[in-house]
Amino acid sequence: MVDEPRSVTAPAGRPDRNARIAGMVDEARQGSMDALGQLVTELSPLLWHTARAAGLSSDDAQDVVQTVWMRLLSHLDGIRTSAALTGWLVVTTRREAWRVRAAGRRQLPADHEWFSVLPDARPGSDEQVILDDQRRELWVAIGQLPQRCQELLRIVAFVPRPDYQAVAAELGMAVGSIGPTRGRCLAKLRALLAGGSQR
Amino acid sequence: MKRSDAGAGEPMDESDFAILDGIREIFGQADPMPADLPERIRFSLALRDLEAEVARLVEQEDPRLVAARGAEPGRTITFDSDSLTIMIRIDPNQDGTVRVDGWLAPRQRREIEVRTAAGALLVASDEQGRFAFASVPRGTARLSVRPGERGQGGSGRPVVIPALVL
Repeated sequence: MVDEPRSVTAPAGRPDRNARIAGMVDEARQGSMDALGQLVTELSPLLWHTARAAGLSSDDAQDVVQTVWMRLLSHLDGIRTSAALTGWLVVTTRREAWRVRAAGRRQLPADHEWFSVLPDARPGSDEQVILDDQRRELWVAIGQLPQRCQELLRIVAFVPRPDYQAVAAELGMAVGSIGPTRGRCLAKLRALLAGGSQR
Repeated sequence: MKRSDAGAGEPMDESDFAILDGIREIFGQADPMPADLPERIRFSLALRDLEAEVARLVEQEDPRLVAARGAEPGRTITFDSDSLTIMIRIDPNQDGTVRVDGWLAPRQRREIEVRTAAGALLVASDEQGRFAFASVPRGTARLSVRPGERGQGGSGRPVVIPALVL
């Protein structure tokens, strides 16, 4: 399937979304619970996957996501753009996740337990989705990546595209002068996918 | 030998974004965020007090890791803020409610509030920093320590902890 080529540096809808998010941040700063609630709805999945990618249990991940939103309240003054908001949230979530993980005495979840949970491996689930070959190949390839790459790619996949560049920079990934560049992890994944099709 | 990360550093193209879309789909299905999490967060935020210190989770003993099935033992959770450490223990009551025992460190007399969908309950800690709610409805609850008198090792600021599911 070939998509229409689109500019990566200015995807359609980017100005709208950025303006909308920045507007909600402004309103939240002025005390609008409604605006804050919309930000929570929109960005919590990213924070959840960031916390889980760091190896937290479900309970700890939920606590961390909640804590991060609470802490945002005292940091709203310094945040003016969508990219700054997303970047702050991701970095703070990772930091909190590491802190909770380091403080936990208990056994950590088995090395990224979610990797054993293929979506179609749960018989009887109403939500059961049979992955097509492409998805399965992708899943297998991700599993072959170093853990750090799995974590980074999982986070990045949930970052809204317009904020990608800012978040990639925060995560220590290279960013080109014009637009986001392909990081090493993504390049490795592509190599694995290409190798897989030669079988 | 071919470098396994050939192509790194080049501008991202549509296949890269298609791969990221695929990753998002897979993890969204394999390990989705609990659907009620945003609602619990909004609940927490709505009760926020901008002046308050936010205590952070330090440690949580997960009973599922230590307990045999059937008996539901207490859950102990510790939170830390700049001025206070709050430890709470949650035990189920026979009638379906829960008992919450807590300790404040440094020990001090403070008023502690627990707010649930059913309303707010208020107790005071003793000189040892101990407090107890004998019966709290299950569900999402928000616990906060009201501002104390300044001095005596206490802080004048209220302390709130993230919402809990009792």
